[in-house]
Amino acid sequence: MNTDKMLEIIGLNKYFGPTHANKNLSFSVKKGEIKGLIGENGSGKSTLISQIAGLYSSDSGQMLLDGKPYSPGSPIDANNRGISIVMQELGVIGSLPAGVNVFLGRTKQFTKNGVVSLKALNKAAAEQFEKWDLPKVPLSKLTDGMMIETRKIIELARALSVDPRLLLLDEITQSLSMNNRNKLYELINKLKAMGRSVIVITHDVEELIRITDTITVLRDGEVVGDVVSAETTPDEIKHMMVGREISGDYYRADTTPEYADKVVLSVRDLTVPGEIENVSFDVHESEILGFCGLSDSGIHSVGKAVYGLIKPSGGSIHLKSKDLMIKSASKALRNNMAYVPKDRDNEALMIRASIHDNFVLPSLTELQGKVGYLSPAKLKKMAQDMTDKLSVKCTDIYQTIDALSGGNKQKVNLGRWLAKDIKLLILDCPTRGVDVGVKAYIYFLMKEAKNNGVATILISDELTEVLGMSDRLIVMKDGTVADVIRRDEDFTEQSVIRVMI
Amino acid sequence: MIKKSRITLQDIVPFAAFFVIFFFFAIVSKGRMLSAYNLSILLDQSIMTIVVGCGALFVVAQGSIDLSVGVNLALTSVIATWAANAWGGWLLIPVALLVGTLVGIFSGTVVSKFKVPSFMLTIAMLIGIRGIVNFIQSFIHTQAIPASMSILSEPYIKYPAFVLIVIVLGYVFEYTKIGRYCKAIGENETTARFVGVPVTFMKIVAFAVCGLTVGFGALFSLSSIGGTSQQIGLFFEMRVAMAVFLGGVLVTGGTSAKLYKVLLGSFSITIIVNGLALIGLSQTQYSQSIQGILLLLILGVTILASKKSKKYAAHPEDDEIDAHSEDQAAKA
Repeated sequence: MNTDKMLEIIGLNKYFGPTHANKNLSFSVKKGEIKGLIGENGSGKSTLISQIAGLYSSDSGQMLLDGKPYSPGSPIDANNRGISIVMQELGVIGSLPAGVNVFLGRTKQFTKNGVVSLKALNKAAAEQFEKWDLPKVPLSKLTDGMMIETRKIIELARALSVDPRLLLLDEITQSLSMNNRNKLYELINKLKAMGRSVIVITHDVEELIRITDTITVLRDGEVVGDVVSAETTPDEIKHMMVGREISGDYYRADTTPEYADKVVLSVRDLTVPGEIENVSFDVHESEILGFCGLSDSGIHSVGKAVYGLIKPSGGSIHLKSKDLMIKSASKALRNNMAYVPKDRDNEALMIRASIHDNFVLPSLTELQGKVGYLSPAKLKKMAQDMTDKLSVKCTDIYQTIDALSGGNKQKVNLGRWLAKDIKLLILDCPTRGVDVGVKAYIYFLMKEAKNNGVATILISDELTEVLGMSDRLIVMKDGTVADVIRRDEDFTEQSVIRVMI
Repeated sequence: MIKKSRITLQDIVPFAAFFVIFFFFAIVSKGRMLSAYNLSILLDQSIMTIVVGCGALFVVAQGSIDLSVGVNLALTSVIATWAANAWGGWLLIPVALLVGTLVGIFSGTVVSKFKVPSFMLTIAMLIGIRGIVNFIQSFIHTQAIPASMSILSEPYIKYPAFVLIVIVLGYVFEYTKIGRYCKAIGENETTARFVGVPVTFMKIVAFAVCGLTVGFGALFSLSSIGGTSQQIGLFFEMRVAMAVFLGGVLVTGGTSAKLYKVLLGSFSITIIVNGLALIGLSQTQYSQSIQGILLLLILGVTILASKKSKKYAAHPEDDEIDAHSEDQAAKA
């Protein structure tokens, strides 16, 4: 047995009902190795690391940790063996403060006579943040209402607090903004220097190659390739992932902004205390207006405020096409606006309801007949047509959303708005956690909407995405507009980052 | 009635419970339950539960609950009787409907605007309004409604009115935006708000509809009993809540809320009460305990069944099912 293999997996199988999620998977991680795991949505990545983390049991096969058999019965079990995980979908408990979330299930050590000492707990949590150099988080605040990014960092702190020898990161970078991504990269390097191992899952091929030592590519639950990161190219990886050639170029090809003169929405001096200050901009017909910035730049709040979800303390949101002020989300909904939130599972979709119910929700007003009648046949047809058009992978339209993969959830999330006659589309990180195939499709849908005259506000943590799609790009810093760059000007990552920081 | 591609265990249990209860009491009562006379009593006893249950469904679908329907019924009955006796019998109807609705609007406004959990607010109302009812009853002398208004209990008025109310509520709940918005709020309030559902307004509407049905309920009860009493509306909220949950609507509301379930649950609970009376248990000290145990049993089975079917529903064809919830469960 090769002793420098820390974790070895031999012939692992996992079934979910009729679905064979992991087929005879063999794979290993060395001590001090940063391992990348990549594959399309549904290729079995998360299933694999969930088994390593003790969330699922395996149906057959063997896992060896330091050469000894390893079959964790629970995440706590895995923690005790030095393995911890940060899940893709959010795993913090909203009604508990951040500090408690860090030590979730392990509060015993702070308990005296049945009472948990929050002071000791928060102190220990603060030490963890200090030790791993994580961005500061208000530890005694409830995690409910915190930004995705903050919640993700709390999860990261939780995983790190067990002092793991093997850390599993499932799609974490996509929830982070530029500056915190860099912190994460530093953290990964630090772990490597300490002789710890990390398994990273991400859909961003370039990032994966940059930060890992080796990459394992999965397809349909099987390993299709093991490569050394320094010797591969993004195109090679993509090819392995989908099994066919895929062009790396799914953004816009043109370099000139192209939009009509007609202003759809005019925002003036929009201020939300503590979030954004005096933000003014116009969006035109057929325009994609990008927003980017660091984590405290307030870009996500702009989207929420424009759709009437947070009450601004000052400023105006003037929907020119209808000549009215947007003061509430229901008014926005009634007036052909659409909003796709960043947090798909908690803010956008009713995950325990069916695909059908999620599809029709924003269009109910349009689907009404006489005396408000919603014909079941009409609703069903709409949901079925959209499911077919977007090729959502599902057994039927009555399947619940939580059984879908991230990419397919996002198709429903975005697609249900495109079924409407919308004039303004607000997208907040529309490609978070989706694979390249779905990503390309989402960009295609955005271009299609643009051609139909829809004005789009594209808010994103992915610089390449806003650069690739926008006509104009608003760079925000500390809640204010720092710069507006047109597509035909200095439209590069360097110039944007210079303004951002 | 409802098109469903998959019938889950969860959907079957309320039906099974209904049939078990039905046959159990039919047999134990030696067939007396099925006599024409008793069947008509069964129907009469279910009417109020069904009507108010249909209204309460709007509230429960949103994941809220209205525990003040019993006391609202008492208040509505007392005020309507008072008004009818003071200024004319015909006032009974508009006053009953108005008072019931106003109480509902009040609850809805407090729940939605001040974010008070509906459970706590309506429990407070249950106690507070009972005091008001006792106060009013202490100085009005007559408890009986004007004789002219007992016409409301005539079969040719009562049954068509009942059927019409259920059809209208069923239509609004199952086939209009209002019902769908209520369910969306129950599924995930944040999601509903982010899509643009007017959540605050819809909560007020739901409680108002519930209050309105209490107004109708008061009219049915006043006309059949002939007036009010000290006991009016006592424990009625429990009967309504049990009818809704026995029918298989989940406490969290959402898409599990369906009108037919209220009908089913109402009949089940009425048969239990009626059946216990038939076999001579209603006068004993055990009857309430027996009711309680039966309800617990049926609800337990329903919840178990819903957990089972959830497991089947979450068959992940891919790697991204929400394992985090299991994660939380394991860690918590």
